[in-house]
Amino acid sequence: MRLLLILIVFLGITTVRAEIVQKPVVVKKAVVLKIDSSKVELRKIDSQAVTNYSKQKDFIYDDVAPETLSWWDKFWNWFWRLVNRIFSNKISGSIIKFLLIGLAIAAVVFFAIKIIGLDFKLLSGKSKSLEVPFEESLENIHEIDFDEQISKALQAQNYRLAVRLLYLKTLKSLSDKQQINWLPEKTNQAYVLEISDDVKRSEFSKLTDQFEYIWYGEFFLDKNTFESVNTAFHNFNQKTV
Amino acid sequence: MLNQRTDLTQLSTAVEQIRQTLGKIIVGQKDVIDLLIAGLLADGHLLLEGVPGVAKTLSAKLMAKCISASFSRIQFTPDLMPSDVLGTAVFSPKTAEFQFRHGPIFGNIILVDEINRAPAKTQSALFEAMEERQITVDGSTYKLEEPFMVLATQNPVDQEGTYRLPEAQLDRFLFKIEVKYPSLEDEIQILVNQHQQKSDDQLLEIEAVLSVEQVKALRSTIKALFVEPKLLAYAAQITHETRNNKSLYLGASPRASLAMVNGAKAIAAMAGRDFVTPDDIIKVAAPVLAHRVMLSPEKEMEGLTPADIIAQIIKKIEIPR
Repeated sequence: MRLLLILIVFLGITTVRAEIVQKPVVVKKAVVLKIDSSKVELRKIDSQAVTNYSKQKDFIYDDVAPETLSWWDKFWNWFWRLVNRIFSNKISGSIIKFLLIGLAIAAVVFFAIKIIGLDFKLLSGKSKSLEVPFEESLENIHEIDFDEQISKALQAQNYRLAVRLLYLKTLKSLSDKQQINWLPEKTNQAYVLEISDDVKRSEFSKLTDQFEYIWYGEFFLDKNTFESVNTAFHNFNQKTV
Repeated sequence: MLNQRTDLTQLSTAVEQIRQTLGKIIVGQKDVIDLLIAGLLADGHLLLEGVPGVAKTLSAKLMAKCISASFSRIQFTPDLMPSDVLGTAVFSPKTAEFQFRHGPIFGNIILVDEINRAPAKTQSALFEAMEERQITVDGSTYKLEEPFMVLATQNPVDQEGTYRLPEAQLDRFLFKIEVKYPSLEDEIQILVNQHQQKSDDQLLEIEAVLSVEQVKALRSTIKALFVEPKLLAYAAQITHETRNNKSLYLGASPRASLAMVNGAKAIAAMAGRDFVTPDDIIKVAAPVLAHRVMLSPEKEMEGLTPADIIAQIIKKIEIPR
């Protein structure tokens, strides 16, 4: 068995060696260059065609703006030229640059605050006050000529309006004497409470009731009833003076 | 000299009787009692808010006792269902049909105790009942009997286990009445009264002072009261300002303007007048508006309340005179 194995290995080696020895020799052939003797025709570019192509929009590849610009495009061209001119100057350019950056930051902050709804007064610690649109009084009691207006109302037999004017006149009188602090947003009852003198407060309270019945309650008032009301107001105002 | 155009004698008597009845048990809280009466006269629903133990439920029960009408009480809990409030269809084996079983909402005076302890789903059951005085279940509409009044109590929303009521529901309450702690004198009086009390149940001693028909008649009287057009504009202006105010995230609805005028009419009648004055509107402005508006977060952080903002708005609007 061992002898057979040795024989096989021996025969294998011998066969390989024989194959190496029997390999054919390759002979390279010399390369032969052929000379091109055909006639070359020289072609020239048609300048007319080039001109035609260059005028066509599809063949314009650079960033040169078309000649027919809209007014909007012209504005922006002018604007960016102006910006370039300004920024090309070293000193003024840097100042303006930082100024614009500052403005842009301020605008962003402003809009951010507006969007989140932050009250500016919160930052200054004054947020307790309210911003309510205040309508100026249509009638300033210190500018009304009461006697003239009352006589006009009486001529028109508008006794209700006359009582209203009498009441406003009384308020003015009390305000002039610093017995009340006149403010359009105060109610009549608030003025009653402001009068320190008990007797006067009681009398003014009655007049206020009469005014409220006639004005807010729209009670009908004839001449006789008006005379009675007028006397009460007149007496009170006499005491106030 | 100037005679009253509307006879308010019956109304004044009724108001005084209710005041006395409530005053027998409720010590102090004059403003609360007046607003309760005004709410009854103005045909509105009332929300009483206060910390536990300030007699919110007792006030509501007493108010209901003053009227000889049907009374229901619903204790709102987190697991309460809409059908527990409105009623439900139950199968009847005898007739082999579903029959609607009325819920506690069917009554004249409904006490909804701790209303903000039920979630929004249950709250929505009250929407139709409170506004339209009817309920719709399974496609059928059931009218609620007049007078219909919801008296609800709640703890402030920051208390444990409470939900904020939906805005739509808050808008349906005429007034939110804040029940505050009593003064020291009033608290001592409460203790004295409790010490001298004979009956275990104070409410047993209370008798009704108004019938359903009387309540209806008083409400008709209130509706007929006079309001000068400039005062209507004044009320509208106050409401309008709540919508433009930077301190408020949510302004009041036109329903608030209506409530303000109705409430002011009731206050005027209680004062013996058949017409409204600016003071009447100012008196009801905060109870009408405070629960309908929402503060902006910044103002809330500053510790301001809706009532503060409303007071500031009123101070900036000229009185029509």
